Amino acid sequence: MAVLTPELREQAEAMKARYPAGRERSAILPLLYLVQSVEGSVTEDGLREVAEILGLRAAEVEAVATFYTMIRLRPTGVHVVNVCTNLSCALRGGHEVHTAAREAADLPPDAEVSKDGAVTVHEEECLGACDAAPVVQVDFANHDRVTPERARELVSALRRGEVPEPSRGVAPRDFRHASRILAGLEDPT
Amino acid sequence: MSAPRSAVDTVTLTIDGKEVTVPAGTLIIRAAEQLGIQIPRFCDHPFLEPLGACRQCYVEIEGQRKLFTSCTTTVAPGMVVYTQNRSEPAHRAQVANLEFLLINHPLDCPICDRGGECPLQDQTMTFGPGESRYIEPKRTYEKPILLSAAVALDRERCVLCARCTRFCDEISGDRFIELFARGAGERVSIAAGEDFRSPFSGNTIQICPVGALTATSYRFVARPFDLSRADSVCSHCAAGCNVTVDLRRGEVVRVLARDNLDVNDAWLCDKGRFAHRFADAPDRLTTPLVRDRGLEPVSFDEALSTVASWCRDARVAFLTGGRLTDEDAYALSKLTRTVMGTNDLDHRRAFHGGVAEQLAAAVPMSVTYRDVERARTILVVGLDAEQELPILHLRIRKAARRGAKVFVVHPRRTRLHDVAEHVLVRPGQEASALARIHDAAGGDRIEDRIAAALAEAGEEAVVLAGPGLAEHPLAADVALGLAGRHGARFGLLSRRAGDRGALRAGVHPALLPGGRRVTDDAERGEVEAVWGPLPTEPGRTSMEILEAAAERQVDVLFLIGLDPLRDVPDAGLARRALQNARYAVVQSLELGELEPYADAFLPAAATFERDGHVTTWEGRSQRMRPVRGPQGLSRPDWEILAGLARAMGGDLGFGPIEELQEEMSGLLEPRGRPRRSTAWAGGGTPQWIEELTLFTYPLLVDEGRLSDRAAEVKAALEDPPFAEVHPEDAAKRGLEDGGPVRLRTGAGEAVVPVRVTEDVAQGAVFVPFNQPGLAANTLLAGRFTAAVEIERPAMVAVAVSDAAQVADTGAAADGGGG
Amino acid sequence: MSQSARIVTAHWGDPGVITVDGYLAGGGYEGLRRALGMTPAEVIDELKASGLRGRGGAGFPTGVKWSFVPQNTGKPTYVVCNFDESEPGTYNNRELIEREPHQLLEGLAIAAYAVQSHTAFIYCRGEFLWPGTVLQRAIAEAYGKGFLGPDVLGSGYNLEVVLHRGAGAYICGEETALLSSLEGFRGQPRLRPPFPAVEGLYESPTLINNVETLCFVPHILRRGAAWFAAIGPEKSPGTKIFSISGKVERPGNYELPMGTPFRVLLEEHAGGVLGGRALKAWTPGGSSTPLLTAEHRDVELDFEAVQAAGSLLGTGAVMVMDETDCIVEATRRMLQFYAHESCGKCTPCREGTWWVSRVLARIENGYGRPQDLELLLDTADNMLFKAFCALADAAASPIQSSLRYFREEYERHVAEHRCPFTGIGPGAVEPERGPDETGSSGPEPSEPALVDLGEVLR
Repeated sequence: MAVLTPELREQAEAMKARYPAGRERSAILPLLYLVQSVEGSVTEDGLREVAEILGLRAAEVEAVATFYTMIRLRPTGVHVVNVCTNLSCALRGGHEVHTAAREAADLPPDAEVSKDGAVTVHEEECLGACDAAPVVQVDFANHDRVTPERARELVSALRRGEVPEPSRGVAPRDFRHASRILAGLEDPT
Repeated sequence: MSAPRSAVDTVTLTIDGKEVTVPAGTLIIRAAEQLGIQIPRFCDHPFLEPLGACRQCYVEIEGQRKLFTSCTTTVAPGMVVYTQNRSEPAHRAQVANLEFLLINHPLDCPICDRGGECPLQDQTMTFGPGESRYIEPKRTYEKPILLSAAVALDRERCVLCARCTRFCDEISGDRFIELFARGAGERVSIAAGEDFRSPFSGNTIQICPVGALTATSYRFVARPFDLSRADSVCSHCAAGCNVTVDLRRGEVVRVLARDNLDVNDAWLCDKGRFAHRFADAPDRLTTPLVRDRGLEPVSFDEALSTVASWCRDARVAFLTGGRLTDEDAYALSKLTRTVMGTNDLDHRRAFHGGVAEQLAAAVPMSVTYRDVERARTILVVGLDAEQELPILHLRIRKAARRGAKVFVVHPRRTRLHDVAEHVLVRPGQEASALARIHDAAGGDRIEDRIAAALAEAGEEAVVLAGPGLAEHPLAADVALGLAGRHGARFGLLSRRAGDRGALRAGVHPALLPGGRRVTDDAERGEVEAVWGPLPTEPGRTSMEILEAAAERQVDVLFLIGLDPLRDVPDAGLARRALQNARYAVVQSLELGELEPYADAFLPAAATFERDGHVTTWEGRSQRMRPVRGPQGLSRPDWEILAGLARAMGGDLGFGPIEELQEEMSGLLEPRGRPRRSTAWAGGGTPQWIEELTLFTYPLLVDEGRLSDRAAEVKAALEDPPFAEVHPEDAAKRGLEDGGPVRLRTGAGEAVVPVRVTEDVAQGAVFVPFNQPGLAANTLLAGRFTAAVEIERPAMVAVAVSDAAQVADTGAAADGGGG
Repeated sequence: MSQSARIVTAHWGDPGVITVDGYLAGGGYEGLRRALGMTPAEVIDELKASGLRGRGGAGFPTGVKWSFVPQNTGKPTYVVCNFDESEPGTYNNRELIEREPHQLLEGLAIAAYAVQSHTAFIYCRGEFLWPGTVLQRAIAEAYGKGFLGPDVLGSGYNLEVVLHRGAGAYICGEETALLSSLEGFRGQPRLRPPFPAVEGLYESPTLINNVETLCFVPHILRRGAAWFAAIGPEKSPGTKIFSISGKVERPGNYELPMGTPFRVLLEEHAGGVLGGRALKAWTPGGSSTPLLTAEHRDVELDFEAVQAAGSLLGTGAVMVMDETDCIVEATRRMLQFYAHESCGKCTPCREGTWWVSRVLARIENGYGRPQDLELLLDTADNMLFKAFCALADAAASPIQSSLRYFREEYERHVAEHRCPFTGIGPGAVEPERGPDETGSSGPEPSEPALVDLGEVLR
């Protein structure tokens, strides 16, 4: 089943054209972001469509997709909350923030998506903002110096359908929107 | 990188105190092999690109602080290398790495097919740690998963060396399996919902250095020490792959590729690997039979004298299949002419004729695998290499990887599509396309580019003319002329294992051994000097023989390793011929559908039971030794024929096979080039034909008898019946992809599902030759092409087989079906 | 360090430099203008004379690297900017882009001109959604002003710049893995040789530079090699951004002359250890560099001096631990990172990182065995310099250095069957991470068999 609309298929062709002729395979990550922006994660259909666009076998695309953590091949919440627990954040309470975010999403031990489907909470590696430890990203927008309390607020707000203001830059509306920005299709303003 | 270097620079270095000189650019691990020093390795494979992933092959290089992986490090002049045999650090690193490789390994060797012949097991037994120092749980996966019906994968045993995935990437180009995920979660996998549908999949099993990939046909079948093993040559096609055959209690249980850099490198197709049970099929007959009331068992002597009595003063004709040895073919050629006094014998189903064919009979090895590999330009005409000569397909891919320009002229886009430019031509119009290339005078058409590439490569160009050319008289000669114009090497490709040998030996109505013409007194005289007087009139071709038989003009019709009902491109004619020949003598492994027609059956030895030679498409004659003796009373074909000669009161003049071989080799000395072809056909303009042309050729795995009992490979590779139609032709007739199509030719009709695809030439309709559910020869009248009308059937068409149930959604169901 | 001695962070106080106009007001693109007036060879000579060394970790002289890119090969030449900043504790690239993106673009254009490349890619870390957006906007501005695109500044020189976003893989910071990723493959490192300078992106000559390195380039062109070479130590001239984090009062990016003592960075700039507690351990250049301790507080932060102290300058990412932090847990967390980020290609890294991280978890959780300490050291030794790329060497660093300086802390964990800092012991054990979680976000590898094997064997 086609994931991309004819209009998005045209955009996919434009994404291929960012790279030299014969090197269109370079567009594989942007294209995976593109199907992720439609589906909220990347399904088998999405993988097959990317394969078709690039003239690859499905296994070649899935091999790439499973390598990168930002391509989500599992059911994913409307929003993705990444909590850094790498050393600098851990030293500043990152684990406690992670626990608080999971609690606020009512996640049982093995789950990562809240029952209402609103949030995925994910333990993340260093997000490159250690001066602001502990760091949380909501749909890849940074929230600095997050306390366990603030983490609960963030998750609760997301579950209410609100998008909290990040510490810098612009917040994507949701994970799909973030994927669209990452595909290079949109400048969030 | 494409230009072969004429002078190779060499490098001299020292490994473990021994000096060795190797070509520059050689890897240390290869240089060590030349000294007989084996450095342990898992990911390294001489036919795959260096990877450096398993880290097992560490060596110490004098003056360097770190150790080096010998599989990725090239030699340097004066380099002093110490392997694990002489270097404590290298030895320690290898022991340490083995601990890592075993850290997740399930150690289920007692139930692993690979146990007893496993590099990981061998190295662990040699110098591995006795037990693990870690107590954490190992990585576990579901055991095993099926990648296809033929190949199973146990991910727990996998050491992630990537040999299998690199084979699919670099060698076969069938990228069905890949490494997924990363880190400790990395694993070999296949895309969800897909099967490992590559005709080369079995090679991944053979090169797996552990028991991760196994063959479903061999799982739990045997232990290496239960097997008896012999070297042989595969006779499924004319590729001539060298194989090792494993038997357990006399039954062939496994076939493996045997390295031969002149032929198959290290590879084998899945038919050759997995289709090895035909000789033990339940309907194999190993006793001679003669029709009395029914077919009654008799002694061989009695059978031969009965058949001989039929042949005396009778009109006798011989048809052969594609699996005779060179010796069998020679004995038949001589018997037919000297004892039966006729030239009515033929091994062909398609007819090139002309100089190209005579050349192939006279001069072996005009093109070799090595020539293909080294070529800078390759033009393939009339061949679907992957399906018809799979190992040649791999060699063409290898050449492409080395930079060769590859072009294919064919009615169908082949699996060379990713490395070759295709010119899709209507079937039968290959010759005009070749003529356009011949006449190209600069420009930017594909024909011009092919001509330029041929001219540019000169002697390093290869023109390969396949069986598809036989549909056009003298098309092969046009290809020969094109090659000649540019100084390219030319090869006329035979498809079946026995074809080239039969052609060389003169199993041909107009050619004697070595391509000597029956009608040329001087050439015939050379054979007569050895054989005595010979008939001077050319005989009949196989189709003419069948027509004659159908018209009661043949008294004794010999069918040697051939089932005309399946193998001949006119099923109706074949049936009439069988009905109307006075006597039909079948010399084969079994009778099958021929049972009602056979008047005598002479049991032949099967391919792994024979001594003798088979000739590759190159013309390379290879010794095939028996892996086991002939079963029951069966005998090698040449012995049966010699016996028949004696029963006729004649004598072929040789006792043991060595005498036959000596006589044969004298007549098969290469004979120099016959004169150049001047044949031209078609001119430069494509002829437009209104109607569509059906064309067919056998796919690799089909309903041929040699695929009998090869359930795994059939399930993995065999297609349900289908017809391929170009989108424009389909649109004109309202055909939808996946829907039914009715094919109607002068010979018959059939309804099959249609594949609408741009991978077939406009105006062409492809059906595979001998697929389950559709005997394409019911649509043919003596050729592998036919004018065809196609339409969307009005009624529900059922089911040519249950796998291919089709229904026209537009029509109400007609209970009975079509 | 005075405001004026800062180079690449000099304008960070001015929020306006995020735009091209703000950047131009501070002399922006003057370096590019000057470079275009020189021959490419002269630009490379200028860089060589400046003594600038790569800021990405290895410290290779930048001008020399540029001179390795062959000319007239018949293939295009590419420049790739490595903005895949992922080394734990490192965050200067992100802030350089978030504040003043044109500084990078100017440096990139100069580098591209010097090696005569007409196509440059910026490989931006996937998680940097906002910095990538800033960069994308800056690229559009620069095209608009003629600093990029056809006929740069009327010189006749053309340069296309493409932003390429990654998708979450630390290993893509390794230059050959980055190239694999940019070509659309899994980000696994490739064999060298061929070296990227000769056969890099799309098998063509390729120059790869880090963001911080390229940000220095406009200033060197603007103010001259001699000016730059005079700053800091002779062998490591110039300034360096030190990213300090963890247990300090004022974490942040501080641009200081190479060779500034760690004590100065910690006490004068970062405000000392958080809460006035005692310094326990620190990394000089991210988690991949061996730990140093309080006794190393006077070590000067440049390539040579840090190496002499037994570590590496790396990215200049200083992570500080105090007396209350458990070194076993810190090491475990670092190894969890390497296990998560190992690409899986080679055996010692794939297995070593994952297994060691679990042995460390066991010790931290009170199940350590006396022999585990030797096992850790032995495993680290079996990883160090044995893997395909440096990731396993990086993973071995915290194991070896923590055991070198804090062995007794490990011994206490084993002897007391608990963590002396948290009290965590048997009964409070975290569930062990399986390889599916370690590996990727991909589906758990337990899909049902495609065909029932029994069916086939019947």
